[in-house]
Formats: sequence, C-alpha cells, structure tokens
Amino acid sequence: MIMDKIVAFALRKPKLIFLITGLAVLLSLVAFIRVKVDTDPENMLPAKEFVRVFDHEVKKEFTIYDYIVLGVVNEKDADGVFTPATLGKIYKITDEVKKVDGVIAYELMSLANKDDMEQAGQGAISFRWLMGNPPYTAADAMRIKARALENPLFYDTLISRDGKALCIYVPIKEKKLSYRVAKSIQKIVKGYPGVEQYYLTGLPLAEDAFGVEMFWQMGISAPLAVLVIFLLMWWFFKHVALVVMPIVMSMIVVIITMGLMVGLGFPIHIMSSMIPIFLLPISVLDSIHILNEFFEKYRKFKDKNKTITYVLNDLYRPNLFTSLTIVAGFFSLSFAPIPPVQVFGIAVAFGVALAWILTVLLIPAYIALLDEKKMGDFGVHEDDLDTGPLSRALAWWGKFTVRRWKQVLVATVAVVALSIYGIMNIQINDNPIKWFNKNHSIRVADKVLNAHFGGTYSAYLVLEAKDKAAQVFQEPAMLRYIEQMQQYLQKKGKVGKSTSLADITKKVYYELLGGDKKNNVIPPTPQAVAQSLISFENSHKPDDLWHFVSPDYSKVNVWLQLTSGDNREMAIVVKQVDEFIKTNPAPFSITHNWAGLTYINMVWQDKMVGGMLVNFLGSFLIVLFMMIVLFKSPVAGIVSMIPLTVTILFIYSMLGFTGKEYDMPVAVLSALTLGLAVDFAIHFIERARMLYAENKNWPETAAGMFGSPARALIKNALVISIGFLPLFASPLVPYNTVGFFMFMIMLVASISTLMILPALITGFPWLVFDDSKVKAVCSCGKCVLMSIIIASTVAYILLGYDLAKLNLTTIICVAIVVVLSGACALISKQKICVKK
Amino acid sequence: MKKGIVFLAVLLFAGSSWAQELTVEQVVSKANNCSYYQGKDGSAKANMVVTDSQGRSRQRQLTILKLNVQEGSDQKYFVYFHKPNDVKGMSYIVWKHVGKDDDRWLYLPAMDLVRRIAASDKRSSFAGTTFLYEDISGRSIDLDAHELSGSDAVYYTVKNTPKDAASVEFSYYTVKIDKSNFVPMQAEYFDKSGKLYRTIEALEVKDIQGYLTVTKMKAVDLNANSNTVTEFSDIKYDVGLKDDLFTERFLRTPPQQWLKE
Repeated sequence: MIMDKIVAFALRKPKLIFLITGLAVLLSLVAFIRVKVDTDPENMLPAKEFVRVFDHEVKKEFTIYDYIVLGVVNEKDADGVFTPATLGKIYKITDEVKKVDGVIAYELMSLANKDDMEQAGQGAISFRWLMGNPPYTAADAMRIKARALENPLFYDTLISRDGKALCIYVPIKEKKLSYRVAKSIQKIVKGYPGVEQYYLTGLPLAEDAFGVEMFWQMGISAPLAVLVIFLLMWWFFKHVALVVMPIVMSMIVVIITMGLMVGLGFPIHIMSSMIPIFLLPISVLDSIHILNEFFEKYRKFKDKNKTITYVLNDLYRPNLFTSLTIVAGFFSLSFAPIPPVQVFGIAVAFGVALAWILTVLLIPAYIALLDEKKMGDFGVHEDDLDTGPLSRALAWWGKFTVRRWKQVLVATVAVVALSIYGIMNIQINDNPIKWFNKNHSIRVADKVLNAHFGGTYSAYLVLEAKDKAAQVFQEPAMLRYIEQMQQYLQKKGKVGKSTSLADITKKVYYELLGGDKKNNVIPPTPQAVAQSLISFENSHKPDDLWHFVSPDYSKVNVWLQLTSGDNREMAIVVKQVDEFIKTNPAPFSITHNWAGLTYINMVWQDKMVGGMLVNFLGSFLIVLFMMIVLFKSPVAGIVSMIPLTVTILFIYSMLGFTGKEYDMPVAVLSALTLGLAVDFAIHFIERARMLYAENKNWPETAAGMFGSPARALIKNALVISIGFLPLFASPLVPYNTVGFFMFMIMLVASISTLMILPALITGFPWLVFDDSKVKAVCSCGKCVLMSIIIASTVAYILLGYDLAKLNLTTIICVAIVVVLSGACALISKQKICVKK
Repeated sequence: MKKGIVFLAVLLFAGSSWAQELTVEQVVSKANNCSYYQGKDGSAKANMVVTDSQGRSRQRQLTILKLNVQEGSDQKYFVYFHKPNDVKGMSYIVWKHVGKDDDRWLYLPAMDLVRRIAASDKRSSFAGTTFLYEDISGRSIDLDAHELSGSDAVYYTVKNTPKDAASVEFSYYTVKIDKSNFVPMQAEYFDKSGKLYRTIEALEVKDIQGYLTVTKMKAVDLNANSNTVTEFSDIKYDVGLKDDLFTERFLRTPPQQWLKE
C-alpha cells in the first residue's frame, strides 16, 4: 500500500523531513515582513461593485466623509450641556480635535463651528457663528441652546432636544485612521474632566477598532486555545513528548498557510484573521485519531515504528477522506462572490491539505526520532481498555442505541422537525457595532448617543433629475416632495433624523421673512428658492449647502440618520422610500440611489448571507459526492450525511430559538460545521465496515465500535469543544460565536453520530454493509441516484465559477442524468448483475 | 476710485514712492488713501467664477457702483446681480463707515423683500464666493496693528495683526505691496494655529483714466480647496453718481441707466 511506502520513507529519513518543514516555516516567517492588514469590511465587496463606486462618487460630489461621533453628555446640570463650563470645554475640545492628524478640520461639525442665521430685530437679519466664542454667562449659554433648537440642521444632530447632550462629528480622511484618531480624541477629552461624560462611536470607528482588537484577541485566544488543547491531550495520553507534536504541527500548518497567503500579497482581512482559529482544530483532529490509536495499540506492538505504521495504515482512508471533504467544503467558498471569503476558503483548504501531508510524514518522522526507551509505560494495556469510566459509559451507550434504535430514530425525526421550526425563526441581521459585547465602550456610546439623538448611523439617499439642465431641485414642488418624503420616513419611525435641501431652504426663508412660524415653508417660486439659498451662501460656511445639493441643482443628497446600524433596519428604510416613491410619484422625473456605510454594510451582508447559503448547499453536494465515492455506495454516502445534517439543523435552530442573529461570522461558520461534523461520520462508517468485514456480525461490530473508535471520537469532541471555550471570554462577539459553534458542533456531531448511525445500521444494516457481491451499479435505483448527485455537483461547480449560464448548465446536467441513467439500464443487464 | 481698487482695498495699503523714509503706519495710511479714495465715484461690471475642489464652477455677474462720501472715510456701494438668472435683480447697498459698523441692506426681488443685515462680523462669504464681505467693502486700517515684516527690491511686506483677535478667524495676515506703485499684489491669511489658509492675489493691473486699477483678482480658500476669480470690465471713474442712488428706494427700482449689461 502507498501508505506503507510513505511511512517507511518518513521513518527512514526523519531528519530530512524535519529539515524541509523547518525551512518552509522559516520561509513563511520571512514572508510575514510583507504583512498588510485590511480591516475595512467594505472590501467584502469587489472594488468595482456598483454600490461602492456610487458611494465614492456621492462622497466626492457632496464632500461627505466617514465620521467618528464624539458625544458629550451632561446629566448633572439642569441646563445639560448648555452651561458656560461645558460649552467652554466643547469649544476647546473642538479646537484640539481639529488639529488631530487625519481629521478633516474644515468639515468638522460642532456647535463651535456652525453658522447661524437669524432675524435681528425689525426687518433685519444677521449671520453669525452659533458659538463664535465660548459663552461667559448662563444666559449666553441658554441663547445658544435656543438658537440651536430653532435650527433643523442642528437639533437631533448636533444637540439633543433635551439639551443634555451634544455631538461633534469628526470627519476622517480614511476609515482606517479611525482607531488612531479616536485614541487621540480620548486623550484630548481626558484633559477636560468634570461632570461631562464623553462617548466615542460611529461605524468607521467600530469597523477599524474591531480590526485592531481582533488582532489583539487573536494573539490571546489562539495561544490560549492551543494551551487548553495541549493540557487536555496530555491528560488523555499522559505523554508530553507525543502530545507536543500534533500541537506543534498544527502551529506549523497555521504559520505556513498564513505565510504563504501574506507572501502572495493578500492582506490579512477580518476573514483571514480567522484562519488560525479554523485550522487549529481541524489539524488537531486527525492527530487525535492517530494518537488515540497509537496510545491503545502501542502495548500490543511494543515498537513505536511498527505501531505507527499499523496505525497510519489503519486510519489511512478515513484520515484522507476527512481531509479531502474538509478541503472540498472550504474550497467551495472560492465560489462566493466575496473576495475575502474566496481567499479565506482557499487558504483554509490549503492548510487542511497541508495538515494531512504533515500528519502522514511529520508524525512518523517525529516518532522515529523518539527514544524508544523513554516511551516507558506509554499506552494502555489491552485489558485496561474497557475499564475506564468513559469506556463503560460508551459501552452502555452502544447497547442502548442498538436496543432502542427505533426510539432513537423517532427522537431524531422529532429533533429535526423542531430544528426546522427553529430555523424558520432565524433573523438575518448584522451590525458591526454589535461585534463588540455590551460592555465595550463603543457599544455603550452607541446606546447612549442613539438614545439622545436622531442616530449615529448615516445613509445618504441621492435623488437625481433625469433632465440635468432643468435645475429641478430649485422647483418648490420638488422640494415639497422631498419634505413630504422626510415627514413620511420620520413618521414610520426608523429614521431618527433627516436633513435635506428642503430643510435649509425653509429655514432661510423663514428667517428672511421675520421668523413667523407660518412662513416655515418652502418658498413659492423657483426664484424665491434660489434667492433664499444665495442668502444662505452669505454665511460663514456657504459650502455647507453643497453637502445637500449639486451646484447645478440636478442632484440632491438627503442625509438620513438611523438610531440603529442593523441591516434589517436599513433594509426597512430602503423599502419605505421605495414605497413612498411608488405611491407618490415625484413631480419631476427622478431616479434614486443609496450611499453611506450603513447601506454598504447592508449590501455586502446580504450578499454574504445569500452567498454563503448557496455555497453551503454546494459544499454539501460536493461532500455528498465524495462520500459516495469513498463508500462506493450512494446509500451509504447519504447515510453518512445524516448526522451532520441533523447537527447543522440543530445548531442553526438554536439561533432561531435564542434570538441570536444570523450574521457574518455565523454564515462563515456553516462551512466549518460541515467539515468538522462529517469527520465523525466518516470515521464511524469506515471503522464499522472494517470491523464488520472481520466479524460479519453487527452486534459484535457495534460493541467494537463503542470501544476504541468511539473513544477517539469523544476525545476529539472534548479536546476541541473545551479547547475553544476561552473564546467565550473575548469582548468581541464573533469570537464568542466561534467558541459557541465549536462547542456545539463537537457536542452535537459526536452525539448524533454515535446515536443515529448505530440506530440506523441496527434497523437497516444493508444501508452501510453490502454483503452481496453485486456492485452498486447493478441497481438501477442507486445508479440514478448517483447520476443525479453527479449532475447537481457538476452544475454547482460550473455555476460557481461562472463557466456556464443557467441554460447551458441545465442542459449539461440533464444530459448527464439521461446518459448515465440509460447506461445504468444497460449495465444492470451485465452477467454479474443478473447472477444475483 | 474704481471697483477694482475697491476690491483691492481689502488687501489695501498702497504707500507713496519713497517708502524707506516712511513708517509702516504712514505706508499703510497712504496706501489706504491712495488706493481707496481715488476719484469721486465709479462703476464696473464684475464677473466672478467660483471653482470648487471638484472643478465645478458657478458664475456670478454683477454691477458695482461706488461713491466716496468723504475723502478717506465713508463710502457707499450699490451691488446689483445680473446672474445667475434666478437671482437677477438681487441687490445690496452698503454704507461704509470708518470707526463704526457699516450699514447694509439686502433686496430679494422674488419676495420683494428688503432686509437690513444686522451688524455682525463681516467675515462671511460674499454670495457664496471665496471673497468675503470685508474683501469687498474694505477692512478699516485701524482694526489692525501694522508692522513692516519685509522689504525687497519689489515689495514691502506688511504684517497685520488684529487688535481684537476674537472678532476674526485669522491670527494675522500679510500683504505684499508693490514698491513702484503701491498696489497691494498679494495677501496671505494665517489661521489661529499659524497655518496659511487663504490668499488673495492681484492678477492684472491696468491704468484706467489715470488710476491704477486691479482688473483681475483671485481668492483661494486652501481649506476648501476652492477659488474665485473676479474680472472687472467696463470700469469707469467719475461718472457722476448721486447720493440718493444708495437708498432703499433704488433697491426696489434699480437705476437702470447704470446697470446696462
């Protein structure tokens, strides 16, 4: 067998193998000097994606920047933030923040740099800074408050209506500067202590901060997981030297994979930062099977080299196939329309393949180098094997599932039904702010500020006239239309505040006409609109106008503030706008489009969720196909998928029942679930068949299966699930999610494998064991089943890589099904088949 | 006095020829008198093109009438908008006073509305351009302390520091004055952190009816990365403007004889 040769080679040339591995590690470490970090979730979308291109255009055209929100809250004073002391601090803070590198001082929005227009006595108006200088008296401060509350551009945006809070919007040159700028701002506000509370939030900050804290977490969580895994394995196998190897190997896998990725110029993205967390358990998985077998068989051979040769031969097929299926599962992520997910999928697939190679080369090489004498009393006596509490429990478990197989199957069906119900309740949603746990400063700030204001999440609704030359947005009818739309959105409740050209026009017109409330309307003629707006341009900040309208009046930007960054909320607002436009046709022909981070997040997360679902189905097909090849039987292949299907349904139903939202990390974890869960089924069926081939007796085989194979499986489950428990301590929610999933996958997959498979086999042994000499192809039903699976897999791959349009693919698949089914009719008439 | 010079007055300071013998106060004072108060009155068309950071431009076309009330002191302005079309007929009257706040009125024809613009600071935008009101009507020389900060073969450089720092957004500004004719050629404004953020430059100077007049000038806002170029045409001095032209009555019924396009 090929395995013999590989192992023999490894045992013969262990040093060479170590040398080559060492060199590869060294090279990979060198590659890290090219490391680039990209924490911008926007890059989840290809750079040419319409929404990104449009967002850039809009930002440029209306000179809008992503911003960090600095909130100042004063709950202690009756006048809130409108005391000379607090306003004085805000004045100085504004000044200092403007000087921070990376801040666009000119576009910073604060009470301290806004202009105010007001009627100043009979027939007069004035333009002056709202807070040109800090106020000295309480009356001055209250005057500023009164003025700010009069201005629709300010209240709910710059100040809260209760006067307790105000916000400074700090525009930044690039999103990736957010974290650094926020740190500088924190330092600045520390210089102004007192009754005021300072809060920092905003999507770009959340995204950038997540990137930074993610790496920090990676530095803690991954090593901690390694440590726990090591301790558990040590406890199981009682031999440090032997246990160290799989751990070192899994780290080698991580280093080489990451090194290669970085070396090839791919940045470390939020997605790829998860690679170590995914590779660690997967690469340890096979080693535990091997160690367990080695542990249990060593006493029998009393020779490390012979033992490892035996063990690797024994586990060759299941190990190879579990690796292949995991590779296939992750590689299928490369079909996703999301560049970082593609890189992630391919990198993990590569890592898993590498792990397999190292398992069959490095482990025997390492064992060859071990001093036999030092092995001491390693391993267990065969007699002791079945005496431990774990062994006794498993033996009882085995008997139970065999005896009560009907009940087990009924329970399975019940669990599946319940799970499907749970899955139907899953809420698809995401929000980068919620990647931090509830006590994180960003999350706290988010909560406080969104309670006081119209919202810290921005979306920009851009209306564009079809007739570019007509100055459509100077038409009173058009402005009134925008006004109505804003009122509609406000009434619907998801938009906390909106600001548009209509608001500015009304405000100026109202002040020009002497501050009579009845004049707080859109002026009656386009000329009156134009003259109101040119009056606005007489202010200190005339450019503020161009955030809301293009100078040719062919486009407007309606700034919507949402109190929640949830995708779901954004999607509702998009729908509300569509509905409004549908039921209220605009007076002029216009088109509308969206920009802003909140909207972009919605788009990529939609794609991600949809994309991952399609991917998952595809991976499922590919894995199923491989199972069929592995077990040389479509029926056994399908059976092997049952435990993992139940596992996945069950775990995802938990989301539905607990109300945890289906977000990006959850979507990505589906691939991991598939890969890890199928591992157990492969080992179980493969080992069961080997045992069955020896004793031709199911009850005896079942008893055997609940010996060493079940122990390996349970040890695996324990090591991985407990190993990842430290992730629960992380302040970053996606890490908790990964920890939860690892725990659940291992728990549920091991239980379902050890319950469902034996129960099924007890009831229907023919599903897995095929005693007849007749080949699978002799049965037309099996053959057609196989054809359909092959056709679906081919279709999926073709579609995934855009190699075919739906029509062509459909034709190819139908053709395959027809041809194979026809072939099967012929094949079934072979002599060998007819004999039966 | 012509509009051109009027605009220049923003930057002001001409001096007379042999400046080495003059103190900076004398240079500034002479420059002010010389460049501001030539002629009795004047009229000109101004074409202002604002170009923003994205290269988009918008235009304003106006007529400016000016009358010296008192040599070296009060002046009156009438500013009438021809373009953009939607604001045609919009006009301002400014009564400039030395030593106290100016009086300003605004007329909006679409609403038939006259509004007095309350005395507040004059460093707000002139109709959305990069020029400020103060650039148009002139900043009184006694608001700043002057200091000759440099002198080479061609220019005097005068550094002007506001006496009331809180009333303006700059910490100081410098003006380069041509030694040969005392035309201020360039002004540079520095913000409170000492960073240059705004410049005004004379691009073209012509002799009109014997008066040196800046006929093209450019203001640049380095923060917004935008600029405005103003070109004057039809410049005429001593045309015989009457004092009653600069009253509210003429805001509502513009003096057509002076406003022909």
